[in-house]
Amino acid sequence: MAEMWISMGPQHPMTHGLWTLKVKVDGETVVDTEPDLGYIHRGVEKICEARDFTQITTYCDRLCYASANTWSHAYIYAAEDLLEVEVPERAEYIRMVAIELQRIASHLMWLGAYCPDVGNLTGMVWCLREREMMMDLLQELGGSRMHYNFPRVGGVKRDLPIGFALRCRAKLKLFLDRIQEYEAILDESTIFLVRTQGVGYAKAEEMINHGVSGPNVRAAGHNYDVRWAHPYSVYDELDWEPSVERPSIKGSDCYDRYRVRVEEMRQSALMILDGLDKMPGGADTYHEPGDPAILAKAPARAAEGQTGYHHFEDSRGESMFYLAGGGEGRGKHPYRVSIRSPMFITIPYAAKCMIGYKIADIPAIMGSFDPCIGETDR
Amino acid sequence: MTDDILDMRGWVRAAMDFVSENTIGMSRHWEYTDSVAWFLTEFIMCVMVFGGIMTTLLVLLWMERKLLGRFMDRRGARTSLRSLWVGENGVTAGEWWNQLPFGPGVPGGMVNKLLNEFAGNDHELEAVSRVQNRSYHGVWWLLPGFFQNLADGMKFLTKEHMVPEKADRFVFEIAPFLIIATTVMCFTFIPLGPHFYSNNSEMSILFLMAVFSVAPLGVFFAGWSSNNKYTLLGGIRSAAQLTAYEIPLLVIVLSVVVLSGSFNVIEVIEFQADSGVWNIFLLPMGSVLFLVVMVAEVERIPFDMPEAEAELVEGWWTEYGGMRWGLMFASEYLRTYAACLLFAHFFLGGWEAPFEDTLPLIGLVPHILWVFLKAWFMFIFFVWFRAALHRVRTDQILEFGWRWLLPLSLVNLVMATVLRLWVYDGVNEEWPILVPILITSISLALFILLSIDEDPEALEAQTRPFSVQTVDVASPGQHRK
Repeated sequence: MAEMWISMGPQHPMTHGLWTLKVKVDGETVVDTEPDLGYIHRGVEKICEARDFTQITTYCDRLCYASANTWSHAYIYAAEDLLEVEVPERAEYIRMVAIELQRIASHLMWLGAYCPDVGNLTGMVWCLREREMMMDLLQELGGSRMHYNFPRVGGVKRDLPIGFALRCRAKLKLFLDRIQEYEAILDESTIFLVRTQGVGYAKAEEMINHGVSGPNVRAAGHNYDVRWAHPYSVYDELDWEPSVERPSIKGSDCYDRYRVRVEEMRQSALMILDGLDKMPGGADTYHEPGDPAILAKAPARAAEGQTGYHHFEDSRGESMFYLAGGGEGRGKHPYRVSIRSPMFITIPYAAKCMIGYKIADIPAIMGSFDPCIGETDR
Repeated sequence: MTDDILDMRGWVRAAMDFVSENTIGMSRHWEYTDSVAWFLTEFIMCVMVFGGIMTTLLVLLWMERKLLGRFMDRRGARTSLRSLWVGENGVTAGEWWNQLPFGPGVPGGMVNKLLNEFAGNDHELEAVSRVQNRSYHGVWWLLPGFFQNLADGMKFLTKEHMVPEKADRFVFEIAPFLIIATTVMCFTFIPLGPHFYSNNSEMSILFLMAVFSVAPLGVFFAGWSSNNKYTLLGGIRSAAQLTAYEIPLLVIVLSVVVLSGSFNVIEVIEFQADSGVWNIFLLPMGSVLFLVVMVAEVERIPFDMPEAEAELVEGWWTEYGGMRWGLMFASEYLRTYAACLLFAHFFLGGWEAPFEDTLPLIGLVPHILWVFLKAWFMFIFFVWFRAALHRVRTDQILEFGWRWLLPLSLVNLVMATVLRLWVYDGVNEEWPILVPILITSISLALFILLSIDEDPEALEAQTRPFSVQTVDVASPGQHRK
């Protein structure tokens, strides 16, 4: 058969969002790929220049529809660096709980999308079932199911609700049991193994050269987790260890990337359980919103020439925010907001990974990198 | 064999004889009396078989919907059964048995109470999500969801028929007819009872297999003529897959034919009645192979590459819509139904009731009911595969077909030939019961041994079966400040 270009996307089951992957195929074999991003570019960075520091949180929530909390927190740490705010320790613990719950929910969303990518719908329904528990917990914290707008500059919006720790512990305990169900339907299925093992090799060195980070690079055996390498917040006080896979000689395959995320969900759940125990003041006490124990006073304006920066372990990799204060001329708004999206860097590399494999491997490989187009196109 | 209480063909023939004699027989064309009665009988039987198949097809669709819902909502097959008496949150699942009219469910309620006492759960009260707490709150005597398919069909009927501008219009229009017509034609030779069939020719299995393999041609036509890259790929995948699986299918069916000594479906079932055991106990491997091949033939998960929705949108039928899509959808399920019925006839004794000799009362159950029950039972496996398995890649499908199924089906043919030549040779009337017992137990033992695919050496070395050798992990904590 002659070679031909197939345009997958923007509306296509493989894309996990809205973007186009142009694939050149020779029969069933992929010969060349060309990712085409920018379909849902909203200009978030520009919009943020006309918002004050609290309003920007809302926009950062909308950067990724699967992982809203991590993005608003990534922003809030940069804003606190810019405005030089000291955050109460209890607020940091509450943030950690919110971020890790969101990480579990995001990974569950990924696994739920990955199962239909390799042809099984049951796994998706099971994953969404557990994601619902995480959503309920996050809803208790933020008041909303998807875009929580939870962090504030200097702390968090609300304290843990009364009884939250009890419910959280029970649900996470159940969740830790149920991870075994996914492993039963995925790891013990020969068909899943032949679909994911030995497919979509990605080498650690190449990924580092491209700037790929997060679970994708940890799957290749490179132990780089921002929470571990450069601990921020309370991550150095918790009892945990980043999940790193043993890749094959040819690099990490789809199965490695699946394993590393399942392990990471476990680690996150244990981290939350540990954090609830270590929370200053106890997880069962409740402070009114605005209490100094959970929210420090923060200035509304940043001086000119002052910059704030933070790099953050997002569910998909290392996200960075760079803020420049604008002084009196800009009022309460920043002068410039710059966002580093991990997926914007990963997707071109993932598209390169699938050359030489079959068409049926495209969703398996692309899905294994966990693309999220909201943050990619910003 | 002829003691079915439901002698449908005989009754229809008698009624038509009566009608014919009193109309044609009294006119000057009296010499056509017999022919007219014959023609009317054939026609009515065709309509009845087709009507029976189409009506019971609703059961199939309904079963798929309900079973899949159970598999996905709950925790797999084991807990699916358990969820009948206990809901996920410890509450009994809707207590539907109490809502049945005239109270036949009361004993069920008592059993449920008993089961809840020793196998209920009470420790996960808090942690349940809203998703899994589905239950039906309507009326149960309407069979919830059963008539949904009729509503879907009505919706398809009202849809506009569109042909893509660049499509080859003639082939595009003819392909659905090819698929649907040949699928319906399969049921001509699938009997629903010893006297409930539309036609019974000497070589019915041969014709059945021939007609069954015409539909892939229509699929290929549909994929190519749509002039769409996805449909083209789907059509070509379908052609490759069905070619690879047609040969093992024919060889397996040939082994059944050899064992039974006939190309006629009804005689195959008669052989199973005479030999005293169903073919599944004589050809256990053949029955498993037949099931696998049939899943591939009807293109269901794990072998649904031609319509893999993850990469090919909807495969070869992407461009179809309206009632053409609806009928092709129905024909896909009809093919599945045909596969289930064929499995029931070839391996499960067709309409033969289990333990017919030891339990004489069981013969009172109409034979057609056994056919349907066995076919529906087989359909459970199709749904189970769909719920539990993933989609296999094209090259893996072809490799599996050529490398495993074809040699195994040939081995199966040899086994059937040996059985025919030395055991069921038609000379010895007292056929030994020891042979099926031996074959079944040996096969079961082999199956269990081969199913335990844990490789202790691989576990020890931490290597993985389908990947190249793994290297050691970077030591954790080396990047910590």
